[in-house]
Amino acid sequence: MSLKTPSAHPDVAAGRPGRPASRLSPRALLRAPHSGLIVVLVLVAVFTAVQAESFTSSQNLLNVLRQISVTAVIAAGLTLLMTAGGMDFSMGSNAAVTVSVGATLLHDGRSTPVAVVLTLLLATLIGLVNGLVVTFTQVAPFVATLASAMLLDGVALLVLDGESITIGRRMWALGNDKLLGIPCLCVVAIPVLAAIGLAMRFTTFGRDAFAMGGNEHVARLSGINVVGRKLALYALAGALAGLAGLMLLSRLGAAAPNTGGLQLQLTAVAAVVIGGTSLAGGHGTVVGTVLGVVLLGVVANALNLLQVNSYYQYVVTGGVLLVAAVVNEFQRKSAPGR
Amino acid sequence: MTPRSAPAPAPVVRVRGITKSFGGAAALKGVDLDLYPGEIHALMGMNGAGKSTLVQVLSGVRHADGGTIEVNGRAHSGLTVRKARRLGIACVPQRRELAMGLTVAENVMLGDLPTRGRVVRWRAVRDEARAALSGLGMGIDVERVAGTLTVAEQTMVEVARELRRGGRILILDEPTACLSADDADRIRSLVRTLRDDGVAVVYISHYIDEVMAVADRLTVLRDGAVVTSAPAAEMEPASLVRSMVGRDVVSQRPERPAPKDDSGLSVRGLSHGRAIQDFTVDVRKGEIVAVLGPAGDAQSRLFDLLSVRRRPDAGELRVDGRSVPFGKVPASLAGGLRCVTGDRRTLGLVQGMTVDENLMLAGDRFARRRLHRRTELARRAAPLRAGYGVVALTGNPPVGALSGGNQQKVLLGKWLETEPVACFLEGPTNGVDVAAMADIHTLVDDLASRGVAVLLASSSAEEAMRLADRVVVVSAGRPVAEHDITAITRDELVATALGGQPQ
Repeated sequence: MSLKTPSAHPDVAAGRPGRPASRLSPRALLRAPHSGLIVVLVLVAVFTAVQAESFTSSQNLLNVLRQISVTAVIAAGLTLLMTAGGMDFSMGSNAAVTVSVGATLLHDGRSTPVAVVLTLLLATLIGLVNGLVVTFTQVAPFVATLASAMLLDGVALLVLDGESITIGRRMWALGNDKLLGIPCLCVVAIPVLAAIGLAMRFTTFGRDAFAMGGNEHVARLSGINVVGRKLALYALAGALAGLAGLMLLSRLGAAAPNTGGLQLQLTAVAAVVIGGTSLAGGHGTVVGTVLGVVLLGVVANALNLLQVNSYYQYVVTGGVLLVAAVVNEFQRKSAPGR
Repeated sequence: MTPRSAPAPAPVVRVRGITKSFGGAAALKGVDLDLYPGEIHALMGMNGAGKSTLVQVLSGVRHADGGTIEVNGRAHSGLTVRKARRLGIACVPQRRELAMGLTVAENVMLGDLPTRGRVVRWRAVRDEARAALSGLGMGIDVERVAGTLTVAEQTMVEVARELRRGGRILILDEPTACLSADDADRIRSLVRTLRDDGVAVVYISHYIDEVMAVADRLTVLRDGAVVTSAPAAEMEPASLVRSMVGRDVVSQRPERPAPKDDSGLSVRGLSHGRAIQDFTVDVRKGEIVAVLGPAGDAQSRLFDLLSVRRRPDAGELRVDGRSVPFGKVPASLAGGLRCVTGDRRTLGLVQGMTVDENLMLAGDRFARRRLHRRTELARRAAPLRAGYGVVALTGNPPVGALSGGNQQKVLLGKWLETEPVACFLEGPTNGVDVAAMADIHTLVDDLASRGVAVLLASSSAEEAMRLADRVVVVSAGRPVAEHDITAITRDELVATALGGQPQ
C-alpha cells in the first residue's frame, strides 16, 4: 500500500530545509559538531605554544596525555551513562576506594593480577549497587550517587587510616612506560574510549541508551529491558571507575589520602558537559567528551607552564566549563530539527 | 449569522504579503489577513500549511522575511514578543502554559502581582483574579492549584490572564483538542463571550463542524498561501475540505473481509479504581471494535492498563487465546499485543531521535539485533516510510521536527509492522489534519484486513462509525451499551455516548 496525499507535502512549518549547497562556508563550519570546542582548543594550544616553548616538547605532551588518561576513562563511562539519562557522581570516589584497596592488597603481598581482579570486581559491585539503588528506589541518580560518593570517600580514608601506602615498583610499567612511543596509560584509555564510542553508535546496546535517555517510557514500552540496561550501565561505570583507579595508582606509585574522589569526578563531569552531552539524557558523543578532556588537560598544563598561581586553575576551569556550556546551548538551538 | 452590535469598519490587525522561509523552503508565501474586533476568525489548514508559522509571526516569536503587519492602523516592523504583547496580541498555545504548582489566582496575576512596598497583597491577588474570571463568566475557585484543573479550565485561566494583561487580539490554537463535548462547549461559549466583548479572536481548529458553528470568518491556508478567505456563512464543509486539501478527501468504509471466528483479544472484568470498572470486551481476528466514551472516561485508561504501564485491580487479558499477565511489558509484547498510545509526545516517540530510528525502535528490539548501522537502518525503514506515507523535508530529521500527522504515522508504522496479533489503538487521529486522518483510517482498515484484532479507543463517534464493526459505549467507567455498527445510526450513537464530537 502506498499513500499519496497532500499531507505528503513537506512540513514547511516544522521541518528544516536542506542545508545550503556549500559545505565549507564559515556558517556551515560553525554548524559542524564540536566546532566551537575545537576552535577554543586550538586557540589555547597556539597561545600556550607561543608563550611557553616547553609546551610543545614531547616530554610535556606525553605528560599531558598521562594526566588526562585517567579522567578520560571515567568520562567515557559517564558519557554513556549520562546519555542514557543516568548519572554517577561516585565514580571518582569509587576510583579512590580502588586506589586505597589496591595499594593495601599489593602492600600486603598479594600478586598484582589478584589485586587487579579483586579491585575491579569491587568497583563493579559498587557501581551495581548504585544502579540497584537508582532503579529500585526511584531516588534521583544525582542524589543517590552523591551520597555514595561521600560514603566512598570516607571508606577510602578509613582503608588508608590517614597514611600513605607505597606499592614500590609494582604496576610501575603501566603508569610510566611507553608502548611504541605512547604512554601505556593512553594505550589503556584509547581502546576504552573507542569501544564506548563505537558501542554508542553501532550497537543496539548504545542506541538503547539514547532511547532511554530520550524518553524512558517509550523505551520501556518498545520492549527495551530498561532495568537490565540501567544496571549494566551503572556496573560498567563502576568497572571503568575501578580501571581509572588502577591507572591512577600505577601512575602515582602510592595511595595517599584524598587521591581521586569528588575532585576527579567533577573534572570528568566538566569534560563530559563541555563535550556536549546532555545532563537530561538523550544526547552525547564520545568525540565531544575526548575534546572536553583534552581541553581541560591542556588548560591545566598551560597554567602550569605559564606559572600562573595554582589557585587560578579552579577559576579558569570553571570559566571554561561555563563558556563551553553556553556555546553548546547556542549550537543546539541553531541545530536543524529544533 | 450571529447578530453583532456594529460591525467594526477598520481591521484591528492588517497583515499584508507576509513571507517567511526557513533556509530554502518557503513556509509563508505572501499571506494577507485582516482581523476585526468582535469577530471570530478561524484559521484552517492542514498540518504544515503554515498556520503555526503565521501565528508565530503575529505574536512576535519569529520575524517575517517580508510583508507588513499593521496594528490599529500603524505599521510595525520587527515585532517582538514583548512588543506584540504591548499591542494587545496574545496567544494561547496548544500546550497549556500555566505554572502548575501555583494557584489559579497567582497564574491569572502572574507577572503583575499587586504589591505594597514589594510585599505581595494576597487578598488583592485573589480578589482581582476572581473578578477577572467572573467577568468572563467562569466560576473557577481561585485558590485551587493550577495542576489540578482540567484542560478546559486551564485554557480558561490562560484566556483570563491574557485578557487581564490587555489582550485585544487573542489567538487560540486548537483550544478544544482532546476535550470532552461538555468542556468543548464551555470553551466555545467563552470564545463567543470574548467576541461579544469586542476581542478579535483567531481560532485554529481541525474540527470542521466546530469551525462552521463558531467562526464568523474563515481563512484557509495551503502550502503557505491563502486559498480562501470568506465569511463563514458563505462556506460549506465540503468546499472547505477541498480548499484545505486541494482535492476531495474520501474516507468511506471499505469492504473488509468478514472477521474470523477465533478471538484475537479478550479482556475480562478489567477494573482499576473508579476509572474503569468491570470492563469486558472480545475482539475477533480481523474485527475492529471501538470503545467510545467522553474524553477522559474509561477508554483513556485502557492504554495504561493494556500496555501494562499500570497494574489493574482485577481483570484477565487473553491474546490469541493465551493468557497474558498484567505488569510485564516483554510478556505482553511477546504475546502479540501492540498498544499505540494517543499521547505520542510523552509515551509514543523519542522526540530527539531520528525518524528511522523511531520507526525501527520496537521492530529491531523484537528482532534482537545487536548491531546498528545507519545505512542499513535507513534501508529497513524505507518501506515503512513509504507504506505509511511519512514525509520529511530533509532526509532523516529528529522525529520531533515533523508535523503531528507525520509523527502519528511514524508511531503507527513503528508498531503495526511488528507482526501484531492484536492491536490497541488510542485516538489514532488526535491532532491530525483531514488528509492524514483519511490515510490513517485506511491504515487501520488494512490492519484489520490482515486479520489483526483491533481495539480502538476513541471519543469521536464519527471515527467509530467510519472504522468499527462494533461499538462499546462507556460512561463513568463502565460499559453501558454494545452495538453492531450496522444496527445503529450516528445520531443514536452520539445520544448513547452522551455527546461525541463537537457540533
